[in-house]
Amino acid sequence: MSDILTSLRRTPYQTFAALSVLFFTLLLSGLLFISLTFLQGLLNYVETRPRIIVYFQVKAEEDQVFAVRDKLEATGKTVDITYVSKEKAFEIYKEFTENDPLLVEMTSPDILPASLEIDAKKPEYLPELADLLKNQPGVDEVQFQKDIINNLLSLTSNVRKVTFMFFSYLMFMSIIVLTTTLSFKIALKREEISIMKLLGATNMYIRKPFIGESVFLGILATALSNIVLIGVLIVMNAFLKGYFADLGNLNMSLFGLPLQVWPFNLTFAILTLSVTAIFSLFITLISSFAATNRYL
Amino acid sequence: MISFQNVTVKYPLGNIALDSISFDVEDQEFIYLVGPSGAGKTTILRLLLNDTKLTEGSILIDDMEITPAKFKQVAELRQKIGVVFQDFKILLDDNVYENVALSMRIKNYHPSEIKKQVTESLQLTGIEDKMYQFPAQLSAGELQRVAIARAVVGDRRIILADEPTGNLDPKTTWEVMKIFKELEKTKTILFATHNTDIVNSMKRRVITLKNGKMIKDKKKGGYEL
Repeated sequence: MSDILTSLRRTPYQTFAALSVLFFTLLLSGLLFISLTFLQGLLNYVETRPRIIVYFQVKAEEDQVFAVRDKLEATGKTVDITYVSKEKAFEIYKEFTENDPLLVEMTSPDILPASLEIDAKKPEYLPELADLLKNQPGVDEVQFQKDIINNLLSLTSNVRKVTFMFFSYLMFMSIIVLTTTLSFKIALKREEISIMKLLGATNMYIRKPFIGESVFLGILATALSNIVLIGVLIVMNAFLKGYFADLGNLNMSLFGLPLQVWPFNLTFAILTLSVTAIFSLFITLISSFAATNRYL
Repeated sequence: MISFQNVTVKYPLGNIALDSISFDVEDQEFIYLVGPSGAGKTTILRLLLNDTKLTEGSILIDDMEITPAKFKQVAELRQKIGVVFQDFKILLDDNVYENVALSMRIKNYHPSEIKKQVTESLQLTGIEDKMYQFPAQLSAGELQRVAIARAVVGDRRIILADEPTGNLDPKTTWEVMKIFKELEKTKTILFATHNTDIVNSMKRRVITLKNGKMIKDKKKGGYEL
């Protein structure tokens, strides 16, 4: 351990460069991992709560709305139907725009549509119920969760693609920087290595201190990035609580194991730490083997 | 036992470093390799370390052929051999103890055994009082003693010495030769040198090389070209 610290101290600029690149790679990887799992959790949440919202025309009478509600109930495919009157819609609107009184002043219950929020028994009933609603008198728009799921799926898929590309680039850069840094150090020790080889040192014996050094940097970068990530999670937790107060828990399955991604919790933090540690180990081992291979 | 059988080393441009050399070395034998520069002394030592490849022939150490094209046990072979060079080849960032201990750490000796053998070898070479000094604090003679101590520890049975007295003054040269005299009781030693005085005074087996050819192999010989 003291050999590793001495070696790092002797080349402070290279150490700082390698540590910085590793730190940012792991920090961004951690943030991307958190974003992806959160989106996946949200997707799972929406998928397991089949809901349709039907908005009526502004001029539609309350009787028309109730008639539609009765028809829906008669299908036996709904669990719950909530009527949101124009007045209730206005109340909700006021809550959302409480910081902007001008918007409230410009709006009245008359210009807002009444709506029905329909919870279906199964997600498969959604298209059928949506078709039924579209043909009813007074119906203006049917918002069906398929659209939300599709949007979320598309978002998750895009985030995954961007994550993969971004992460590959970061990992490539980290490996290059770390390999270059280590190669520089190894070049300085070329004479030492040739003496060790003459004495019968195996390649693994010669590699060991360089691997130890890069793994040490990896551990340090993992620790630093996770301290920042935990800080981010704590801040995000407080910030997102306001938005997702009614959401309950967001869960997903990771390699067949259930994982709660919201509210953020210790298991999730440990998993994020493990993911960044594995990436860090991968990067440092590849780099140290690549760098030492050139001289052995 | 070491055996060279019709060993030829040719370089890609056609230069011949060794030309069909054959000789055997018994265990605990002391052999001087003498000859002018470029005669092939160092090539013989490098072949024994598998640090260069031969073109023809074969070399055996204890019936193990060490020179096939795809010889994989280079580290294992070198762990049997101690090396002493004219330029010492000492690790400058490590102290005397660490330099000598490296020879045993490579072979995974237990720390207590390392301590015991390193202390004994430093006593043998007369520099136990310099144990924690760094190479920059030592004279050429002391550095060569460190190299010899390093070559001795870790049960290395063969010692290859390539002009070990080349950088030393006459007084130090004789002190170093005293150590080699002590070592020949337990080790096989191949000693390449230009120094006529030490070859003539010790009367050991002398193999004389010239232009890659072995021109003499004399028991109790002297320095004759």
